[in-house]
Amino acid sequence: MSGEDDTNGWQLTESDPGVFSELLKTLGVPLIVDDLYSLDSESLASLQPLHALIFLFKWVSTSSDSMSGNYDPEFPGFFAHQVVNNACATIAVINALGNIPALKSGPQLAQLMEFTNNMDPQTRGLVVTSSDWLREAHNSLSPPSAISLDGLELPRQTEDAYHFVVYLPSMGFVYELDGLKPHAVRHGSYNESGEGWLSRAREVIENRIATYPPGALDFSLLALRDDPLPLLQAELAKLQTAGKQAEAAELVVKLESETSKRNRWNFENSIRRHNHVGLVHALLVALAKAGRLEPAKENAKSLMKERIARAKSKGGAMDES
Amino acid sequence: MAESGTLLAFKAGRAFRREGTNFVDPSPTKGAILLRKEDDLLHLIWKNRVTDEVEEDLILFPSDATFSKVSQASGRVYVLKFSSSDQRHFFWMQDASSARDEEFVNNVNGFLMDPDHEASWGPSSQPEASTSTAGASSSSAPSGFQASPEQMAQLQQLLSSAVGGGASAPSELSLNDILTPANMTALFTSHPDLIPTLFPHLPPDLPMPPSSEVLQRIISSPQLHSAVSNFDQALRTGLLGGLVRQLGLPEEAGTGIEPFLRAVQRQADQERGEDGMDTD
Repeated sequence: MSGEDDTNGWQLTESDPGVFSELLKTLGVPLIVDDLYSLDSESLASLQPLHALIFLFKWVSTSSDSMSGNYDPEFPGFFAHQVVNNACATIAVINALGNIPALKSGPQLAQLMEFTNNMDPQTRGLVVTSSDWLREAHNSLSPPSAISLDGLELPRQTEDAYHFVVYLPSMGFVYELDGLKPHAVRHGSYNESGEGWLSRAREVIENRIATYPPGALDFSLLALRDDPLPLLQAELAKLQTAGKQAEAAELVVKLESETSKRNRWNFENSIRRHNHVGLVHALLVALAKAGRLEPAKENAKSLMKERIARAKSKGGAMDES
Repeated sequence: MAESGTLLAFKAGRAFRREGTNFVDPSPTKGAILLRKEDDLLHLIWKNRVTDEVEEDLILFPSDATFSKVSQASGRVYVLKFSSSDQRHFFWMQDASSARDEEFVNNVNGFLMDPDHEASWGPSSQPEASTSTAGASSSSAPSGFQASPEQMAQLQQLLSSAVGGGASAPSELSLNDILTPANMTALFTSHPDLIPTLFPHLPPDLPMPPSSEVLQRIISSPQLHSAVSNFDQALRTGLLGGLVRQLGLPEEAGTGIEPFLRAVQRQADQERGEDGMDTD
């Protein structure tokens, strides 16, 4: 590992369910990540079996973030510190995965979990971050740094980094795993009945959101859940052999919706990873061959003039597209 | 050797990274880099030669930073980078002559490794006011170098091609306004024979076979929009000479958006002539 700069070679990734789910596939884990638009019981129920909630927000580094819950230095589960900023998404995922009982995974992840057993959070974080195979899996999700002025692999930095916090059940309590905090945070116990840990988690998350002034926090929620596809497919096969057409039809709809979402993810990941410079050049050459480049240029120039004029009349700085 | 004093100085401008991108815009402001030792600490200072004010004062611990040439830039651009942080500071040499670049850079790195480094200067053909050796501590900005009219013109040109698109001069057009879904639809309709020429440039792992629908989808995607913006900004730095050669274009095509588009048109005309296609 080159260790030339302190991103330690971890590239910044998008925090998109498709990106996370692709990472899980690479890790050999039969789970996916989905957007969660609401914490209401119906939404959560439709995503069961649900293993963890991931709360991601633009990092608001204010100490007014009064902590609820208590540090649990004796937390027996898996908790790793985030030692490299760009690795934050993957660290959150690993922290979640490390606490799912009887998780199926590829051999490398299994070995990593075993190796880091009984380590303190800091050491765990360092070991996880120095896993070459994990870093490569993580980096394979983001666009190649196709055009950088230097061969120094400048990381693509967005102005505001997202921070990820995982909420999950462990040993009868809801825990909050935040790689930037010294320990896992324990938030109350829960009843196994009904929604179980989710009602406690909902409470904690909603309280947290409420502590920020309205509109101050840019956040989203993700759900780490079992991959529904194999189950849906198996279920459909069963219903079809049993001749239960009506129910099968219902299931087909669900299956189609899930499949098209996965196709969209695959498409987006594919164009996300691709270096488009060749395509951009080829498109311009095609326009030129068709005699359409000149008119497009002139049109683009007038569009820019209009934009500048609009911005000047507003008196503000121009936002170039 | 003095406990504090200027170890070396040379003319250099700064360049700044454009927010959220990997691109760096040179600032035309005349300045100088000074390496000073103050109370046993090494400082790298950037001074504005016009206002005579220190605008950057970095403390450097031994072996913490390096000063390296930015190899993919065709200009004399250097970056100061730290092993202890993400910080990057970009500079470009402002001495009209590059004859002493290596000398300055080697000594800078020497001091960055070890503040007790002994500067070594090659025999210089003219005594330049822009250098100082240990003992001749001078905190005033180097001056007195007169550029010849040709040298000024060269610098001017370098600046105007490199700085276009900065805050002072918005560029004339944006590539995203050329590669619009509407323009692409029109192109595919009028020249369907050109569609297959684009297929080799599509991602190899697309989950569906190449088609004009897929092309349209990609052209409308935020990922492509972002890639086009990046390329646009890169072209505006004027420093893409190396990269455009890989596209079969002359180095001059990498100096800006207009030169690039002109070169693309020439390339298209040439290819069309070779294909024996009808000209319109």
